[in-house]
Amino acid sequence: MTEMSEAISTAAADVLETMFFSPVMAEVAAEAGMPAATLAARLQFSGGRSGTFAVRISTAAAENMAANFLGEEAGQPASGQVQDVICELTNMLCGSVLSRLDREAHFDLGHPELVDPLEVPTPGSVSRAFDLGEGQVAIFLHLDAQP
Amino acid sequence: MAYSVLIVDDSQSMRKFVRRVMDLSGFEVGSCWDAANGAEALALLRTHPVDIILTDINMPEMNGEELVAELERQDAYRAIPVVVVSTDATENRIRRMIEIGARGYVVKPFSPEALRGELERVLGVAHD
Repeated sequence: MTEMSEAISTAAADVLETMFFSPVMAEVAAEAGMPAATLAARLQFSGGRSGTFAVRISTAAAENMAANFLGEEAGQPASGQVQDVICELTNMLCGSVLSRLDREAHFDLGHPELVDPLEVPTPGSVSRAFDLGEGQVAIFLHLDAQP
Repeated sequence: MAYSVLIVDDSQSMRKFVRRVMDLSGFEVGSCWDAANGAEALALLRTHPVDIILTDINMPEMNGEELVAELERQDAYRAIPVVVVSTDATENRIRRMIEIGARGYVVKPFSPEALRGELERVLGVAHD
């Protein structure tokens, strides 16, 4: 559990700062202060381990990150662009976390899809949440039981 | 020298980001084309020759692994260097993509300097 939590925290700091220019301000309790207005994306993965990876992010943080990612002024990205960027964020975070957990394994990531934020997280997920200044992002990793 | 580049990724945002990071890095881009999957990339290459291809792996219709293998099969495209840009940092995946013909591999997240360094290494750009 600790290894998964550390992988999420390290991957989040790396991906958010390097690709989205949104440095993590602080780690927060997973459900503390998450506003009602949120977006969520989820993907399934298989391979060395299988499971579900999901991201829930406040709308303000999502719009700011999309603007940073696309090189546009805050508030400029269209709704579809913001959704596309959040799916890409989910893909990048998942790949980064899984690679940290096992560099020798082979993983196949499914296509990230936007989901109802109420459907996140999958029960039994390990989670971490982060304050980005403009809002919060929560990350959830669920590994299926090994046969 | 400015290079003609093809970016292959099913995410339009990612294609735009990669182009922006190339510009930020100082890598000289002449013409830049983009495609949403391997099949689109192959169709585009028939009419638009490029110096280098950057491709994601996980894409619908024709993924990056299938694209690299197909480029290796065709005499007209075998010489075009391909750099994989992927979230997958596992050693098995990197080894596999290099084995089937990719010349370089950049793991997301990446800095502008890292992207430029890999592109220039693959293109054999000499520095003073």
